[in-house]
Amino acid sequence: MNVSEDGSLFNQSDDYSDYYNLEDLVSPCPHDNNQRTEMWVGPYVHSVICILGFLGNSLVILTYAFYKRTKSMTDVYLLNVAIADLLFVLSLPLLVYNQLSSWSMGSVACKLLRGSYSVNLYSGMLLLACISTDRYIAIVQARRSFRLRSLSYGRLICGVVWAFALLVSIPTFYFYDRYELSHNTFYMQGEGEQPENNQTSKPPQYVCEFRFNDSDVAKSVKLAVPGTQLAVGFFLPLAIMGFCYTAIIVTLMKAKNFQRHKAVRVVLAVVVVFIVCNLPYNLVLLYETISKFSEQSCQDSDTVQIAITVLQPLAYLHCCLNPVLYAFIGVKFRNHFQRIVRDLWCMGKKYMTPRRFSRVTSEMYVSSLRRSVDGSSDQGSSFTM
Amino acid sequence: MASIKVSVAVISLLTVWLLATHTSAGSYNCCRQYTRGKIPFNKIKGYAVQTDTESCPLKAIIFLTESNRRVCTNPALNWVMDYINRIRNKAQQVHKMAQTHT
Repeated sequence: MNVSEDGSLFNQSDDYSDYYNLEDLVSPCPHDNNQRTEMWVGPYVHSVICILGFLGNSLVILTYAFYKRTKSMTDVYLLNVAIADLLFVLSLPLLVYNQLSSWSMGSVACKLLRGSYSVNLYSGMLLLACISTDRYIAIVQARRSFRLRSLSYGRLICGVVWAFALLVSIPTFYFYDRYELSHNTFYMQGEGEQPENNQTSKPPQYVCEFRFNDSDVAKSVKLAVPGTQLAVGFFLPLAIMGFCYTAIIVTLMKAKNFQRHKAVRVVLAVVVVFIVCNLPYNLVLLYETISKFSEQSCQDSDTVQIAITVLQPLAYLHCCLNPVLYAFIGVKFRNHFQRIVRDLWCMGKKYMTPRRFSRVTSEMYVSSLRRSVDGSSDQGSSFTM
Repeated sequence: MASIKVSVAVISLLTVWLLATHTSAGSYNCCRQYTRGKIPFNKIKGYAVQTDTESCPLKAIIFLTESNRRVCTNPALNWVMDYINRIRNKAQQVHKMAQTHT
């Protein structure tokens, strides 16, 4: 075939009739508006979430480590939620940093960060569902409470939740990889098969994303991973919490207890915060997953991406609110917390030898445990109002 | 308690690092739609392949035009694959000519 023949053959006017409505040409989507949004949300909002989440959750963990031994199922759950949330917010700065610039860390860091993000997301959400069932058993099924809410059961369930979260995250560990996107490499005419990067002045841009060998596998995993995240990481905990907390509220409303209104308010706050934080993001994720494989205008695609960029941190914010909603709302926990602040303050001020940590006397503890286990006599006690 | 100070320091450093990041994203730019109609061959400088086995959801051939515009086309269409074969043939010829000259 001749080069000049090529040109003359296809230079005919009938080709031009198909073409040269410049508006009809479709280009790859630049997502300009989303990039502008990311530039603000990325560093600033995530920094705030990271700091708040770090402070709140590490205080919960410190309280359990030094001041209050985990003595009930509720304690085990609260501690594990705090651990999951803390690990989550700690991986956040690394993820955001690498996402905003070219992924500068290696392939192992890519897999580990994405994988642990997934594990902590699942375990955090499922543990919140466990807390709701724990409270349900304590308040609605008060008679079975003693048998079902033991410390060893709590530890076993937490172990199962973490193992399950790890299992569900295996595809993320396996299929995420660090690589250079192939569609940024252009093969130019007359320059041989040597691929030429269009932006030769720029260093190669690496991403940490899904990569597959097979197109069919790619399609099913790209649907299955967000699908599982929606089903197991949001709708399942939502359904469990919805059932448990509705039953709790019904039981509380029947009880004649002066503290019940306070307890109902706490329950409502827990549910409302869960829904407000997570529902918007998950709905957009659902829409994005469904519409992913069909053609879409750049404007629509940009809008969906902006919604994700804005609503994702709102979902992350939940990690910062959990310590307040679950741990610090309890009077007992608040007392321990005040003791921590006092001890830290004294240490910072005087640089003296570390004080002996004032542990709760066992007497106090047994009495409070008795109260919280005996749900029928004091229905609000599981919330330690 | 020293561990708290260390972790607070670490987290502040991470935050500062995050704030100092310049966004240079844009490598993600995927084709989300295909061009209807056809581009004349002589306007094309080169092509790139967008596969659905990476982060983009669609398969596409991205042509680079003379005016450095990237145009998304459907790889299922015959003319698209025809253009690619011709670019490859051209490259082959250039390659052979270069070999005979040296």
